[in-house]
Amino acid sequence: MTEFNTSIKNIGDVTVVYLNGFLDAHTAPVLENTFSDLVEQNKFKLVVNLKDLIYISSAGLGVFMAFIEKMRENKGDIKLTSMNEKVFNIFDLLGFPLLYEIFDNEEDAVKKYGGEKK
Amino acid sequence: MTATDGLKIKRNLNALVEFSKAVNSSLELKFILNNVLLTCMGKFFATKGAIAINEKGKFKIMVTKGVAKDFEDNFPILTLKDVIDENGTIKNITEFGTFVFSELIQASDKNLGLIFLGDKLNKTPYSVEDQQFLRTILNISATAIQNSMVINELKKVNKNLDTRINRLNSLFELSKEFGLFADSAKVAKLLVYSIIGQFMIAKYAVVIFENDDINIIENKFPSDELRKYLDKNEYEKIDSAIGAEKLKSKYNSLYNLGVELIVPMQIQGKTKGIILLGGRVNKQQYISNDIEFIYSVGSLAIISIENKRLFQEELEKHKLEEELDLARDIQKNLLPRNIKQLNNFEIAAENISSKQVGGDYFDVIQQNKDNCYIAIADVSGKGVPASLLMANLQAFLKSVCKQEISLVEGTSMINDLISENVTGGKFITFFWASLNDKDKTISYVNAGHNPPLLIRDKKIIRLEKGGMILGVMKTKYPYLTETIQLQKDDLLVLFTDGITEAMDKGQNEYSDERLDDLVKTLGDRSAKETLSAIQKDVKKFTLGAVQSDDMTLLIIKVK
Repeated sequence: MTEFNTSIKNIGDVTVVYLNGFLDAHTAPVLENTFSDLVEQNKFKLVVNLKDLIYISSAGLGVFMAFIEKMRENKGDIKLTSMNEKVFNIFDLLGFPLLYEIFDNEEDAVKKYGGEKK
Repeated sequence: MTATDGLKIKRNLNALVEFSKAVNSSLELKFILNNVLLTCMGKFFATKGAIAINEKGKFKIMVTKGVAKDFEDNFPILTLKDVIDENGTIKNITEFGTFVFSELIQASDKNLGLIFLGDKLNKTPYSVEDQQFLRTILNISATAIQNSMVINELKKVNKNLDTRINRLNSLFELSKEFGLFADSAKVAKLLVYSIIGQFMIAKYAVVIFENDDINIIENKFPSDELRKYLDKNEYEKIDSAIGAEKLKSKYNSLYNLGVELIVPMQIQGKTKGIILLGGRVNKQQYISNDIEFIYSVGSLAIISIENKRLFQEELEKHKLEEELDLARDIQKNLLPRNIKQLNNFEIAAENISSKQVGGDYFDVIQQNKDNCYIAIADVSGKGVPASLLMANLQAFLKSVCKQEISLVEGTSMINDLISENVTGGKFITFFWASLNDKDKTISYVNAGHNPPLLIRDKKIIRLEKGGMILGVMKTKYPYLTETIQLQKDDLLVLFTDGITEAMDKGQNEYSDERLDDLVKTLGDRSAKETLSAIQKDVKKFTLGAVQSDDMTLLIIKVK
């Protein structure tokens, strides 16, 4: 059984990262590797689609914290989309909406990068 | 009642019903207060208004209309005493400038808040009728206000509870994970992820004190500076969290790097490391609950890191012990179990191996009916490498003994073979001799070994003839040899430096002199008795101090 995995789709210069399963202390290194790989490929404009993310713990949120500065320093960002209510509640509880842009759907998040370019 | 009056009442009633519907349709406190205030201002043509809500006895402004922006900040702290006098009469509070009229918002026995209203646009004073109408509006809205306040309170409690549950989950999750991961780097990573995710922190570092070292395992501060400012001796004394204020005054250089909180990681009250954190991205301060959480996860992590270190140490110790057991086995198997006795010579020998297993070796090899070889050697180094070299030496020695060649030739040959086979500056001190049982003679070659002692009439002759130790280079000059005619009661004592260098607790050596003195007194004993007499004397000298080298004795008594 895979507890957690990620997959990637490129739309223009925006990278959409799909998270699937349980993101906790045990699986946090998986997401960390995914983000590290993207940084290595100079991909800084990320949209993270949380449609299939069932659970996230603080360790999972920590991975987002660990990479947000890196992305923004390189004119990119981590935008979040399509999270279910339970996942949103955890993001909300810890105050993440203050720091991260959260969208209802992937298209809007991707478009936001286009808008920022003009 | 005139027609106009009737119309007016009807309009008032309609307005009240509308208002009641509006305020009761929502649980949002701000929305309700806004509605109340706007309704009152509309009704009385007031240009300014504000509502303060009673929060645990203190009135706090919640909504304002038509006043300066800093009004809320400059609003004085009002308590119930300021609002109601001793007789229970409500005071009219107008003195802070803007307002001319105030009224208490009450629900049954509770004072929920205060409403303030400014001048009417037409500058007419508030009439008794106005006051009654205001009270009606406030009565209608009081229930809604109270409900929404309760809901707000519940929301807050719920959020606190959620935060606590979330933290407990984090702790639980981490305690599970920390048990699984093998290396401390991973534990530290999970530790920081949990903390920065929980508190939204961008800058952090985890520092662990190891022996005399400071080990920075995670760091997002400028690393050279951080290392410069960290002094283990100083930071090991940190036994409780240090907040921004104390950092500013006591550890200013760290504060200037952006460190706003230091939390110690402790095991049984001893600080084994520290977590350094920058400010929270949402600008909130760290409160004691937060610090408690960070302290808990930090302690969990350090215990896990420490356990892993101890486990590793134990494993290595265990490995080393196994290796030494192996070395001891090899050595035991190489040494002769039964020592051949000759017609004219009585031979006794014993090796006492040290904890680290030195490379002592002795042997007694029968060559033919009349001749017998005896050998004693000390291989440099300890443990398995030394015992393997010893095994080599024995193999070479045994094959050389089978050839009909002289001691001198044999020594050269063994030296050449050993030189080819050793690396890294290893060597062997070696003494061997051929005893002739018929002629009662001994011929020997000493390749750098502690000279064996021949005791005759309480005088000592050292058997020193020979040459270079084995294994340093191929034989260039032939080894020297000597043959000695032995007499009845001659005593030969062969030993390794483990005997003469045996130490007492004060690091004093047993010494050659002490051995010399002792052996002179052992004239009338058998080989076996001589052996145990020397062992006993060494034991008496060392008084139970742990010895670092093997002790080997080979005693020959001429009959």
